Amino acid sequence: ALPLPSCHCWALRKALNPQLLNLSPCSSAWPCSGTRYYGTPAEQKVVARDEPSLGVRNKQSHQFDWALAKLDSSVRRTGRVTKSLLQRIFHDICRTGYPSGNQALLLLRSCGSLLPELPLAERTEFAHHIWGKLLELGAAYDVSHYNALLKVYLQNEFKFSPTEFLAKMEAANVQPNRVTYQRLIAAYCQVGDIEGASKVLGFMKSKDLPITEAVFNSLVTGHSRAGDMESAVNILSVMRGTGIDPGPDTYLALLVAYAEKGDMDKIKETLNQVENTDISLMDRDLMQVVFTLTVAGHQQHVPEVLEHLRHDGDAMNLCLSLITQGHESTAFMLLKTFPSVQADSQNSNGPDVGNFFLRHCVNTNKSPEELVGFCKGLMDSNLHAAPMQFTLYCALEAKKMAPAIEVMKTMKEEGLPIRPHYFWPLLAQHKRDQNTAGTLEVLKAMQELSTEPDIDTYCNYVLRTFPSVDSARTALAVLGCMWLSFVSAEVRAEAAEGNLARLFAFSYFLLVHVCTGNLVPPRPENMAYFLYHLFDGMSETEVQAKEEVLREYLQQLHKKGICIPVNIYRGIRNILDSHHVPELIKKELGGLESRVTLERKLEELKAQGSSGDSHLKCSKTIKCVCVFSQNLPRALELKAEHEDKMSPSCYALLINLCCRHDNPEEALNLKRELARMDSEATLDVNKYMSLLRVLSKHNRLEEAVDILKEMKEKDVVVKDTAVVLLFHTFSAVALRGDVAALRRLQDTTFALGLAKPTSNLCSPMVTMYLEKGDFAGALEAVMECETQYHQLPRIHDVLCGIVKKGDTELLQKAMDFVSQQRGEMTVLYDLFFAFLQTGRYREARKIIETPGLRAKPGRLQWYAEKCIGSNQMEALETMVDLTAKLFECDRDEMYHYLLCLCKDTNDWSKAEAVWTKMQEENVIPRERTLRLLADIFKTNNQEVPFEVPEVKQPSSVTAFSSVAYAVLYTSRSSAGLRGLGKALVPACYDALIKALLSSGSMEDAMAVKDINLTLTRKNRKMLKENALASLKTMLQMDQVPSQLALTRLVQGLGNHGDIKGIQEVASLIKSLSPSLNMSSMLFVNNMALAHIKNGDLERALEDLESLYTQTADHSQQSIAFVFRKVVEAHNDEAFDKLRTMAERLCHQFASYKPATDLFLQCLDTGRVEEARQLLQVASLRQRLRPFSISRGAAQTCRNLLELIPDFAEKELVYAYMMKSMDKNLEAAKALYRRMQAEGLQMNELSLKRLAQLYKKAGEPVPFEEPPETFKFYADKLKASTLPSPEDD
Amino acid sequence: MSAPGKKVFELFVSKIPWTLGTKEVKEYFGQFGHVRKCLLPFDKGTGFHKGFCWIGYTTEEGLHNALHKDPHVVEGSKLQVQQNMMPFTWRRMDKEAEES
Repeated sequence: ALPLPSCHCWALRKALNPQLLNLSPCSSAWPCSGTRYYGTPAEQKVVARDEPSLGVRNKQSHQFDWALAKLDSSVRRTGRVTKSLLQRIFHDICRTGYPSGNQALLLLRSCGSLLPELPLAERTEFAHHIWGKLLELGAAYDVSHYNALLKVYLQNEFKFSPTEFLAKMEAANVQPNRVTYQRLIAAYCQVGDIEGASKVLGFMKSKDLPITEAVFNSLVTGHSRAGDMESAVNILSVMRGTGIDPGPDTYLALLVAYAEKGDMDKIKETLNQVENTDISLMDRDLMQVVFTLTVAGHQQHVPEVLEHLRHDGDAMNLCLSLITQGHESTAFMLLKTFPSVQADSQNSNGPDVGNFFLRHCVNTNKSPEELVGFCKGLMDSNLHAAPMQFTLYCALEAKKMAPAIEVMKTMKEEGLPIRPHYFWPLLAQHKRDQNTAGTLEVLKAMQELSTEPDIDTYCNYVLRTFPSVDSARTALAVLGCMWLSFVSAEVRAEAAEGNLARLFAFSYFLLVHVCTGNLVPPRPENMAYFLYHLFDGMSETEVQAKEEVLREYLQQLHKKGICIPVNIYRGIRNILDSHHVPELIKKELGGLESRVTLERKLEELKAQGSSGDSHLKCSKTIKCVCVFSQNLPRALELKAEHEDKMSPSCYALLINLCCRHDNPEEALNLKRELARMDSEATLDVNKYMSLLRVLSKHNRLEEAVDILKEMKEKDVVVKDTAVVLLFHTFSAVALRGDVAALRRLQDTTFALGLAKPTSNLCSPMVTMYLEKGDFAGALEAVMECETQYHQLPRIHDVLCGIVKKGDTELLQKAMDFVSQQRGEMTVLYDLFFAFLQTGRYREARKIIETPGLRAKPGRLQWYAEKCIGSNQMEALETMVDLTAKLFECDRDEMYHYLLCLCKDTNDWSKAEAVWTKMQEENVIPRERTLRLLADIFKTNNQEVPFEVPEVKQPSSVTAFSSVAYAVLYTSRSSAGLRGLGKALVPACYDALIKALLSSGSMEDAMAVKDINLTLTRKNRKMLKENALASLKTMLQMDQVPSQLALTRLVQGLGNHGDIKGIQEVASLIKSLSPSLNMSSMLFVNNMALAHIKNGDLERALEDLESLYTQTADHSQQSIAFVFRKVVEAHNDEAFDKLRTMAERLCHQFASYKPATDLFLQCLDTGRVEEARQLLQVASLRQRLRPFSISRGAAQTCRNLLELIPDFAEKELVYAYMMKSMDKNLEAAKALYRRMQAEGLQMNELSLKRLAQLYKKAGEPVPFEEPPETFKFYADKLKASTLPSPEDD
Repeated sequence: MSAPGKKVFELFVSKIPWTLGTKEVKEYFGQFGHVRKCLLPFDKGTGFHKGFCWIGYTTEEGLHNALHKDPHVVEGSKLQVQQNMMPFTWRRMDKEAEES
C-alpha cells in the first residue's frame, strides 16, 4: 500500500528536526498540510515510540543556556551578533520549547541594528518570524516585548501603522507605557509626521507622563524630515524652556538632520557648538552622521567628519552596515582611517587590517572585480600583506565557487601560485552533497587555472563523490584528466577505505601490480596498512579458503624484501589469530616482521626510601577546670599546687586567661615558665594574638615585637580570624594615635611575612589621620602604604574628604600618585566614585565619559554594594545613569543593583520606574532580575505586569521534592536539610540538587548531595525494594536517573546477590540506555558477582566465559570489576577459579583481555607474585599496552616494570607514572633522572607536568619548560596517535 | 612505538598558513636535509588543513640545520618550529586497547 502523503511530510520534517513535532503547542499552527493527519492513531504510536522522554528533553534544555549566554555576551562585547548565531539559538529555543519571556526579549532585541551584516528588510522579517513562532510556542508577551519590537522597527526604518500596533497591544490586553508612547512618537517623526507625533504627545501629557529628552530628540528628527529645519532647531530652545538641557542625542539628531540634507557647513557649526558645551560626542555618534551622509548620497563630505573621530569606539559595525547596504566604497574609505596597529614582529605575520571587511564583502556577494579592487587597495596602502589569499580563504570557507575562482585567476595573473589544495574546500562540499556535476566543474576550473589535481585530490575529494570508481573514470575521461595519478588514487582510496577484500577478489592482478611497485612505490607503511586492511576486510572463512593464495602472496612480498613495522605486524597477527590460521602466521607473516631489538636496559626498581616516621609524642594533659570558670586567681593557685603536673596546653590556657584579664605581666611570666619547661612549645595563633593585643594595649612595644618574632620562628600561620584579631590590635593602637608604635607593629608583621599586607590591615594608619580630618596626612599614609606594600587603603574615603574640602592641589597630588602607581584607569574610577559620593554629578559624568574608558565590573560592584549597604539611592541611580554608554558595561547588572536597593527599602514604585527605564534603554533583564522585580511587586500587593520566570525546576519534579524544595528554599539551613534528609526517598535528590543549582544555591546543593551520599550508603543495606521502587517512580515521572545512581543501585543489588533485581533494572533501563550511555558490562559483572555471592560460582564462570567465547569483539568487555571485588572480598576460591578461566581463555580462545585485566588487578592490589605467574602462564608479555594502566597509580607502574623490565613502551609507562605523581616532586625528579639515565625522552606533556611540580614547590625548573598549554600538548599527543592517510 | 631500532629526527611545526600544502612544506624543509616524511593533516570535512605538521628527517644533521634557523618564514608567514619530543607513531591498532 502506498504510504499516506502525510507520512512523507511527517517523516521529512522529523528527519530535519525531530524535536519540533513533540511540542504540542506548535502542532496546531504548524504551517504544513501534513499536520492535519498528525493526530491519527497509527502515527501517534510512531510518535510515542520515537519521542525522547520528557526527562531526556529536560536534560537537553539545560544545554541551551550556554547559547543564550553566548548571544548575550556577543552583544555586550562587540555590539553585534551574527545571523547564524542568532538563528541557531532561535532554533534551539524552538526545539526546546517553552521560551521564557527574557529569551524572547533577547531574540527580538537582536533583530535591529545588532545585525549590521543583514539588510534592513531581512532583519524585520526575521523579527516577525521570531515573534510569531515564539507566540505559537507559548511565549507570554508583555509591554517590554512590544517596546522591543517598536525599537526594532525604528532601527530597521520599518514602516508600520502605530494605530494598528496599539490595537494589537490592546487585543493582547497589554498596557502601553511611557516607553511605548515615546517610540510611537519616534516612529511618526521618522516619516516626518509631526501631526501624528503631536497626537501621541498630547495623549502622554493628558496621562501626566513625563516628557523626556528622548521625545524632544524625536521631534528634532520629525521636523527636519517634514522639511522644517527651523522648527527642528527651535526644539532645542523649547527643551531648555521646560528645564531639560539638550543632551548628546539631541545634537546627534540635529547633526543627522543636516547630514540628510548634505549641509556640511551646518554640521561643522553644530560640532563647534557642541564643543563649547560640556557635552562630548562619542565616535559612535559621529559614525551615525557618516552613515547618514553616505546613505543620503553625500559621500564626499565623509572625510571631513572622519577627521573628528577619536577612534575610541568600534568602527567595525559602521563598516559592516555600509557594506550590507551597498556602500562598500565609503566603508573602504572608513576602513583606511582605522588607526594602524603596529605589527608585532614577534608574533604577527605582517599587517592584516581589514579581514572582517573582506569577509563581509565575500558574504554579501560583492562582485569579484570589487573584491580584487579592495585587495589591491589594502596592499597598496600597506594595510594587509596577503589580502587575496585571505579573500580566497573566505570564499572557500563560504563555499562560494565563483568569487573563489575569480580571485584565483587574479592571483595567477599576479604571479601567485595556485595549488591543488585550494580547491579542496569546494570539492569537500560537493563530496558531502554527492554532487558530481559540481565536482566536475571544479576540476574543469582547475584545468583552466592549469593546476593539476594530485593523488590526494582524487583520492580524498573526488572519487568518493561518484557512485563507483567506474563512473568516476568515465566522467573524468570526458574532461581528459590525467590518468596516472587517478589510477594511483583509485588504488590508494580502496586501500585506505579498507575495501581491499573487494579489490582482492576482483582484481588480484591489480594488487600484485600495486605490491610490486608498478603503481605505488611500496613504502613499508603503505604496504603494511594495505595488508592490514586486506586481512581485516576478510571473513574467517574467506581467509581459510584463500589460505594458499595468501601464502603465495606473502612469500612474494617476503622475496621483495618488504618489511612491516612491528605494531602493524601484531595487528595483522591478531586478526589472523582470530581467524585460526596459525600456519600462515608462523611461516609467512613471521618473515615480514622487522626485528625489534629492545636494547634498552632497565635498572632494577628500588623501593622508594621509606620515610622514617616520627611519632608524635603523646603529651600528658591535666584538666584545668579552673580555666573554664574563668577565675584567674584560683587558676594560678591550682597551678602552684600542681607545678610538676603542668602540661604545655595547661600553660597555654592559663596565658590566654591572663590576657583576657588584661594581665600582661602574669601572661609573660607564664610564658617564660613554659619556655623553660619546653622550649619547643608553641601556642596557637589565637593565643598569640591575645597576647599581642594585651601587650600593645599596655604599650609594651618591644615585648609585642618579640611575640611577632617568636611566631615567625615557630611557623605560626596567621589567617582567617587571626587576621581580624590582628586588625583590631592595629586599630586599637591607631585609636590611641601612637603612630610610631603602629608603624613598628605593622612593619614587623609584614617584614616577617606573618600576614600579607592587605588593604584592610594597612588601613588603621590612614584611619588615624582621617579621624582627625587631616587629609594631607591621610594621603601621605596611603602613599607610604602603596610604596611599601602596594596597597591603597581607604583611598576612596581620602579622596572624598579632599573633594569635600575642595583642596584641588591635594587632589591633583593624589591623582598623580595613583595614576603613576596604578594607571589612569584606576584613578578615573577612584575619582568617579569620589564625585558620586560627594554629589558632584557633573564632574562624575565628565570622568566616566573619558574616551577609551571601559567598564570594570569589580569596581562598579564595589561602589554599588557600598550604596546598597548605606542606602544611597541617589548616588547609585546616578551611577547607573552615567554608565549607560560605558563600554562593555553589564546593564542588567547595574539595574539589578538598583532593584536590590529598592527591595531593601521596599519601594515598589521606584522599582517600576527602574523597569520602565530598562525598556527605554533596551536592556534584557536576566531571570533573577525579573524575579527580584516580581518579588518587590508581590510583597507590596501589586500586580506583576509580566510573566515571572519560574525557578528552573525540572518540569516533572515529583510533588514530594517540590515540597522539599520549597521548604529548603525558605529555610536555607543545613540543619533543616539534614532533618529533611531522613524523610525523602532517594529519587527526589537528583531533582532537588538540580533545582538548587539552577537557583544558584551552590552550597545548599552540596549539602543535599552530602545527605544523598550518606543515604546511598545507608540504603545499600536495606535498599532493594525501596530503591527499585523509586527507580520505577522516576521512570514513570519521566525523570532520568543519573548514571552514578544506577551504577550504585546495580552494584548494591549485586552485593546482595539479588539476581532478579538486576534483571529487573536491566529491563527497566533498556529503553533509556542509549541516552544514558551505560555499559552493558555493568549488568554482566554484577550478575556474576550476585551468583558468586549466592555461592553459585559455576554459573558465574559460565556466564563470564561465554562472554568471551561467543562474541567477536572483546575490546569493550572488561570484567576487571569482578576481579577487583573478588580480590577485595578475599574470596580465594573464586579468585583461583577466575584465574583458571582467564588462562583457559588465553590458551583456547586467544582471548587475552580477561587475563590482562586480572594481571593489572593483581598489580593494583600488590599481588605481584600472582601477576608473575599469570605473565608466564598466559604469555601476556606482548599483549600489554600501557593504555591498560593509564589510570593506574605509580605503584602499579612500578610493579609492572619490575615484572617486565624490557616492557616495549616504557616511555609511555613513565609518562603515566609522571601523571600520577601528584605532588610528589622528589619522586618525579627521581623518575626524570632515571629516564635520562636510560636515554629515554620525556614527552612534552610530562615535562610540563614536572615543571609545574617544580614551580609549586617553589624550585627553579632546571630545564626549559614547554611553552604551550597543557591542552596544546595533550591535543598534539592525541593527534600524533591518530594516523591520517595524508602521509605521502 | 616508532620505527624500532631507528632513531627519529622529527620536527613539529605549527602556525602553518592555509595556503601551504604538503608539497610546499616538504619543499621548504627539504632545504635543511632529506625529508623522510612530511605529515600535514587535513580536515576532510572542510578541506582545510589543521595548521600543524610533522617533518621527519633521515639524518640528525637535517634536524639540527632546521632547528638552527630562526625564524622560519615561508611566503610571509612565520612558522613555529620545534623538535618533536613525542615521535609520531602509528597506533591505530592499539586504539581498541586505549578505549577499553
